[in-house]
Amino acid sequence: MKVLMKNDEVCIGCGLCEEVCSKAYFKENHSSKSAIQVAKGETNEINVCNQCGVCIDICPVLAITRDKNGVVRINKKECVGCFMCVGFCPQLSMRQHDDYIEPFKCIACGLCGKDCPTNAIWIEDVDKEPMEKL
Amino acid sequence: MFDVKSIKAEHKLLAEYTYEPAKLNRGYTDKTLYVNIGENQIKEKNVSKEMKEKFIGGKGYGLRYLWDATKPDTKWNDPENEIVIAGGPLCGITQYPGAGKSLVVTISPMTDLVIDSNVGGYFGPFLKFSGFDAMEIQGKAEKDIIIYINGNDGKITIEEAPLEAIDGHVISEQLTEMYADNEEDKKNISVISAGTAANHANIGLLNFSFYDLRRGVTRLKQAGRGGIGRVFRDKKIKAVVIKFKGTKGNLNNPADQSLINKAGIKLHKQIHDYDDVQCRMRQIGTANIIEVMDQYDLLPVHNYQYGNHPDTYKIASNVFVEKFITQGMPDGCWFGCSLSCAKAADKFEIQTGPYKGHLVTVDGPEYENAAGLGANCGIFDPRLILEANFYCDTYGVDTISFGTICAFAMECYERGIIDKEATGGLDLRFGNGLAQLELLHQMSRGEGFGAKIGLGVKKLKEIFVKEHGADADFLNEIGMEQKGLEVSEYLPKESLAQQGGYGLTNKGPQHDEAWLIFMDMVNNQIPTFEDKAEALHYFPMFRTWFGLMGLCKLPWNDTSPPDNHLTDEPAKMPEHVQHYVNLYNGVTGSSIDKNELILQSERVYNFQRVFNIRRGKGLRKQDAMPYRAMGPVTIEEYESRQERYDQQLVELLGYNPEGKTTKEKIKVMKEYRLDQYEKLTDAVYKRRGWTPNGVPTKEHLKSIGMDLPELFEVVDKHM
Amino acid sequence: MIKVNTKDFEWEEGLTVQRLLDKKKYTFTKIIVKINGNIINKEDYDSTIINDGDDVKVIHLLAGG
Repeated sequence: MKVLMKNDEVCIGCGLCEEVCSKAYFKENHSSKSAIQVAKGETNEINVCNQCGVCIDICPVLAITRDKNGVVRINKKECVGCFMCVGFCPQLSMRQHDDYIEPFKCIACGLCGKDCPTNAIWIEDVDKEPMEKL
Repeated sequence: MFDVKSIKAEHKLLAEYTYEPAKLNRGYTDKTLYVNIGENQIKEKNVSKEMKEKFIGGKGYGLRYLWDATKPDTKWNDPENEIVIAGGPLCGITQYPGAGKSLVVTISPMTDLVIDSNVGGYFGPFLKFSGFDAMEIQGKAEKDIIIYINGNDGKITIEEAPLEAIDGHVISEQLTEMYADNEEDKKNISVISAGTAANHANIGLLNFSFYDLRRGVTRLKQAGRGGIGRVFRDKKIKAVVIKFKGTKGNLNNPADQSLINKAGIKLHKQIHDYDDVQCRMRQIGTANIIEVMDQYDLLPVHNYQYGNHPDTYKIASNVFVEKFITQGMPDGCWFGCSLSCAKAADKFEIQTGPYKGHLVTVDGPEYENAAGLGANCGIFDPRLILEANFYCDTYGVDTISFGTICAFAMECYERGIIDKEATGGLDLRFGNGLAQLELLHQMSRGEGFGAKIGLGVKKLKEIFVKEHGADADFLNEIGMEQKGLEVSEYLPKESLAQQGGYGLTNKGPQHDEAWLIFMDMVNNQIPTFEDKAEALHYFPMFRTWFGLMGLCKLPWNDTSPPDNHLTDEPAKMPEHVQHYVNLYNGVTGSSIDKNELILQSERVYNFQRVFNIRRGKGLRKQDAMPYRAMGPVTIEEYESRQERYDQQLVELLGYNPEGKTTKEKIKVMKEYRLDQYEKLTDAVYKRRGWTPNGVPTKEHLKSIGMDLPELFEVVDKHM
Repeated sequence: MIKVNTKDFEWEEGLTVQRLLDKKKYTFTKIIVKINGNIINKEDYDSTIINDGDDVKVIHLLAGG
């Protein structure tokens, strides 16, 4: 399955990934509209979905599913906007923005990884077992 | 299973109405639906500004319409009696747990007063999305009918429906299948139904359905108390069906979605982080307190004689968690309820009655069911409790009333007040779970002793006195009903405040106005009459507000912020109160604070009180409680807790119990406790702005903005 | 003599918080214990000694309202 992998240690907190993500999906440069978010500090912490799938079982309308590549995706048409998945995400990586009535998340497209100047993020095809170690 | 096409083919159209569904604006459509099934008339009404201001929504709208529709002497089975169903301005939001409730109001066959019941399922939100803030049903049909609302097409029909089942779990499945285009569409259907026992029993309830996508079954939530299902069946309604496709998170069209999102996500996160170590609502729902109540001598056992039992471990919450209740499901009764207390046992095999051998999904058990059907009747077999729970739901029987009535009849049987001849051969000992189930089956057929049980404790007392020569005074002491409604499943003997929480209520002894036992009896936080009166003002008013909004009470205090105990008033859950203020302001665009919230409730609460007075009741004498709720009635009860009671005689009364007979001590104790209740009543009425006879004063009505001429006309007669 | 939720309760030498909870049959899990206004952590119930004359509060957080 496809997962966006990360290495906090080499992240320089430039915010380019957030820009790429929010521009790609919301046509805006705003970190609050990015699926990947970096908490900048002494060490930068990259927060992004690891495709664990806990949200799949939380969703009351079965709007969250795993696609054939193993990526967890939200069917916005079916979503009723309850945001339970946001509150129950163990990684705190399910996003919500008041401009939209559905949540959003990383779908492991890899666009941000291509632009990352330090290779702190990249797409990997992992099998399920190492996935659980993440 | 069943051929819904041929069932539908027998429908005969009686009335049809098309309309343009009004869009919601800030939580309201300002339109309501009126259906008269006697005259086959369907129309829309506009909500006046005054009604919206003073009655807010939900139960407030229900009371206002019922007042206008009925006369002071209207009986529950008169055609003009209405069943009013209403959400409220917050009903239908999906971000905050517990926001899909309907409030149902009618004249009750149990109490001859207004009853209101708060119920989950998808009906309330769908009614709003279909364009209506409330729905009134008036009149009586000649033959069995259903009412169908299609909120997308804007079409409402009344149809004769001769072939549908009556039992709740069957008809809900039938109609969900009938009106859904396909499996996926089933989540867009909600059905209101009753059950076969509601054809006869005054304790009949309404089932509100929602479709459980994972289990692939319709689930039922109950408007349980006060016999609304009996009124429904007396009107010859088999079901009300609504269909609405297209639920989204912003259909209430709120003024400030952001405020709602923030409150919702904060609570979801809190429940995620702490529910496992707090109330375990997601694991087992309200049944988490079965063993807690037992440990604190509060679990009603053998018709409220005692507060615990050595066998309680057999029905402890973990037994249900480990053996019966499917775990890990998003068991909300409306979207966005992360508290998810609507538990269910799946593929449960039924052992008795018409569904013997069927594998069914049982909704529950709620705490009240385990306590009422179980401990109170001395039944400690979890399978029998689940089966009784299933039959109560599908037959349309209020589990709380039934548990309490059954416990009362069992005590009468054990004391020899009634015998096997009276029970039609049933050996009605405490603990006989199969006999309890047989009572339910009889009730569903309207036969035998079960049919009498369905009339309630109040009527049963009259029957036992008249037909079996029972001592009326004794039955009045041990029969746990007030105003005609059975007491719910907590033993209030050692908490004066809770005796008031049960007794000083509008609709009868329910704990949905106030549950003060721990605050009072254990924590000793409200020691004086004034303290208790303040609690019996604030909490009933605060909790009334859920009924105005279309909200559930449980997310208020069955989950707590981790620092709640450090706040000024932990019992009130200040952070959650602020969430509610934000939700209201977020939806409606108002700017109320927590005091205005209480005022909104006070208006409706006092209106309901005056409604009861208008019906010739609602005064002080109706607020008295049976002594079983207040202290030990019998020698066995006293002696089972002799140390406690003897000590109280010394400490509270300065009475030396040495050398006194138990009978003498019971008498002294009783005088004291009855007097305490009178003093509490005085303090509470004063705090609520009522006369010593329990009538809201004109000054008080004026001060809360309820100086309505129709209310003055009623209270004037009592000044 | 000590006070437990403002009511008198017999004191004994070496009385710990846990022993008091056992004696009062306070088995509920959501409680807050305070001695003379100071909150006692759950992990210290066994080791915290209650002195004669202490004012103990055992607040059960099942409000219900």
